[in-house]
Amino acid sequence: MIEIILLLSSVLFIFALKLFGKPSTAHRANTFAMLAMALAVLSGFNFDFSKYDAPFYITIAVSAIFGVIISKRVQMTQMPELVGLFNGFGGGASGAIAYVELSNSSLPISDYFVAIFSMAVGMFTFSGSFIAVLKLRGKLNNVNSTIANIFSAFLPPLILIPAVWDLEFFVLELFIAIALVAGVVRVVVIGGADMPVVIAFLNSLSGIAAMSAGFIVNSIILIVAGALVGASGIILTLLMCSAMNRTLFQVLKGGFGDTKINNEYEKDPISTSPEDVAIQLSYADSVVIVPGYGMAVAQAQSAVKELTNTLKSKDVEVKFAIHPVAGRMPGHMNVLLAEVDIDYEDMFTLEEINSEFSTTDVVVVLGANDVVNPLARTDETSPIFGMPILDVDLAKQVIVIKRSMSPGYAGIANPLFINDNAKMLFADAKEGLENIIKSFELV
Amino acid sequence: MEATFLLTLLVTFLASFIGYELISKIPQTLHTPLMSGSNAISGITLIAGILIYPEVGSSEVLKVIVLIAISFATLNIVGGFSVTGRILEMFKKND
Repeated sequence: MIEIILLLSSVLFIFALKLFGKPSTAHRANTFAMLAMALAVLSGFNFDFSKYDAPFYITIAVSAIFGVIISKRVQMTQMPELVGLFNGFGGGASGAIAYVELSNSSLPISDYFVAIFSMAVGMFTFSGSFIAVLKLRGKLNNVNSTIANIFSAFLPPLILIPAVWDLEFFVLELFIAIALVAGVVRVVVIGGADMPVVIAFLNSLSGIAAMSAGFIVNSIILIVAGALVGASGIILTLLMCSAMNRTLFQVLKGGFGDTKINNEYEKDPISTSPEDVAIQLSYADSVVIVPGYGMAVAQAQSAVKELTNTLKSKDVEVKFAIHPVAGRMPGHMNVLLAEVDIDYEDMFTLEEINSEFSTTDVVVVLGANDVVNPLARTDETSPIFGMPILDVDLAKQVIVIKRSMSPGYAGIANPLFINDNAKMLFADAKEGLENIIKSFELV
Repeated sequence: MEATFLLTLLVTFLASFIGYELISKIPQTLHTPLMSGSNAISGITLIAGILIYPEVGSSEVLKVIVLIAISFATLNIVGGFSVTGRILEMFKKND
């Protein structure tokens, strides 16, 4: 009976992933995954609920309530932090289970190594995720990556301490401490704009930790589900890396954008006013909006929707061009736009839209920077050279809504801003859009 | 014993392969709900907690650590699915 439930659960998990493939079926994916999880949990009890005491059930009930409360209170712009937080919990849980198994039972030697691995990966995920959350909240500044990387090189040899001093019973605790410190050191050197990679990578690790925990407790469902999560995290990690033309190693090494070079502009940009932008937009036939992290920070998605409606009512075609690493997690911009009911048919990926920029009348860049920097195509010495970018500089006119000329994450100037076809509207994304919308009434 | 271990490895390989194949086809638009959904699934380690809880024996410390693990995993699962549902709700309404 248990075997049948587990089989059903595994099949449902796989079906859930399949349903994630299309926006129209994705909401059913969640239901399938929840059902699969419920069956898996049921199988864990083995139909004997009396083996468990009150503290056990209270822990589950209270944690479930907290989970619901947290998830309902968080705003869509804070989604990356929330995913990071939950991810840390998952990793920590696997690490703790591995610790208990290691200290409790006499594991066979093969399981012993798997358990050590699960514990280390779980604890690394735990501390790394919390640092990632703090980074995403802007509570942590970048730490000098060279010092941190030298420091982390000294961490693995610490494992030998118990052997040297014969401290047998502290081995596991020391291991946990090293994994926790390693998680902190590794993530703390990575800048905010690389968080899409970090979050996806930690997500993968939490799956791998769960999978290896499955080997220790002999549970096939843990292995199947953990492997699925591990695979999904790795795919997203590699996608994000290739969207920046960097390797995972280069991202994890940290320190990107630490050296500020070529920060000067040869000439002043042309600045524009909300009224002029409104006029420009109302005479356009096609408009492409390029959202970036600035849109999320300013919570400007409602204003984006309003502008889209205004333009569409004037028979202007509006499309959205979304770079894979725009924002702070994979698909971040898509979710924010979906939140305000923008049709996903109007959202385009880099490959889909890049050939269209040369025939686009006006491009509005909204709080994006490095992902539209033409130096990625032209300047071989640039740190972002080779990164696939949205070729907005090829459009007839470009409007950049940005608070200042300050460089983006890569720490380099963006010649797009002083291009002949580009104008700057110096404003916060939300305020800038609202002023444009107001000006439409006067056009 | 050896045969079971090989079978387990086979399952691991197959699950990773299926995961890789299916997820490669998911469009960018759905990457956030995918992450948040798969994140919830990583709380599957709750089952490990349920399995070992009755077996930890007399050690109170270990019992508390298992309870912490159970608490974390439950938070991960319930919170993760709840938030994924919220995100997917937004994709549903513009169908």
